[in-house]
Amino acid sequence: MSIEGSTREPGVRVYLAVWVALLAIVGVETVLVVYGGLAPGTLVLALLALAVLEAGLAVMYFMHLRYERRLLFWSLIPALLFVLLMMNQFWSDAHRIVKLHL
Amino acid sequence: MSESGVSVAAGHGLGAVTEQSPLGIESKKLVMWLFIIADAATFGALLFGYGYLRVASPNWIRPFSFTPTVLNGLVMTAALLTSSLTMLLGVMAAQAGRRSACIRWLLVTVALGTLFAVLHIREWLHLIGDGWSPSANPTGGAVLVGGTFFSVTGLHLLHVLGGVIAILVIAFGFGRGRFTAAHVETTGLYWHFVDLVWMFVFPLVYLMNVR
Repeated sequence: MSIEGSTREPGVRVYLAVWVALLAIVGVETVLVVYGGLAPGTLVLALLALAVLEAGLAVMYFMHLRYERRLLFWSLIPALLFVLLMMNQFWSDAHRIVKLHL
Repeated sequence: MSESGVSVAAGHGLGAVTEQSPLGIESKKLVMWLFIIADAATFGALLFGYGYLRVASPNWIRPFSFTPTVLNGLVMTAALLTSSLTMLLGVMAAQAGRRSACIRWLLVTVALGTLFAVLHIREWLHLIGDGWSPSANPTGGAVLVGGTFFSVTGLHLLHVLGGVIAILVIAFGFGRGRFTAAHVETTGLYWHFVDLVWMFVFPLVYLMNVR
């Protein structure tokens, strides 16, 4: 049975461009750490933002999600983001419990 | 495939009626996606745990220096990112029916994955030689520095080693005609995910711990 999923196929040029972009982002992260002089809170936010950007490029192009049916994206990604956001909520709760010495 | 989206699996002689996937992908690929989502939540929990423990430890120390730790990490990152590219080239070759080219790209991917693992294990051995362990911190700071470092990077390293073995199996199976291009593509999804996880591990566990 054939499966009709992908609408377009990215070429080698697209893959190469994404690969270069990913390497460049890693370079920016390293420069930020070594020469940025940012406070830890600002630094972690900047690094997380860049990591999310990298992950987005990897998921959409390397893992081909941009070229699959939209239903696949909506079936997978919102659920994961919800779980991760809830973890973030519980994280701060857990921190509060430690402070209370329960 | 009929226009109504229903097909008959006549090849098996069973006359089974199957519906077309609403997601437009084969079941093996969907299962891999579901595994990836679950595994992403696992790594998410581990990294959130690491962040929580770090914030809750007032005597947390930053043990790494640019040379050799970050430099080593940059080489590891470049190897892993490049291995994702070679994996993609392998998938493209498989889909085009270029069997030997596919195997070549998969073996390059295996070599880059192995390089990553060797550099990682060498780094671990240096740290262990300096007195680091999941329950020991030779600098006298928080013991959890070692505990979280070895947990997060250890789970990722296991994924890399598992991926290297999987790609080898798929490469030889594809060469013998036992596996199809869809198998190569599904294995590629897993490998890109291993790469994706490292995009969070490297900045959060390495770069955030540079002195």
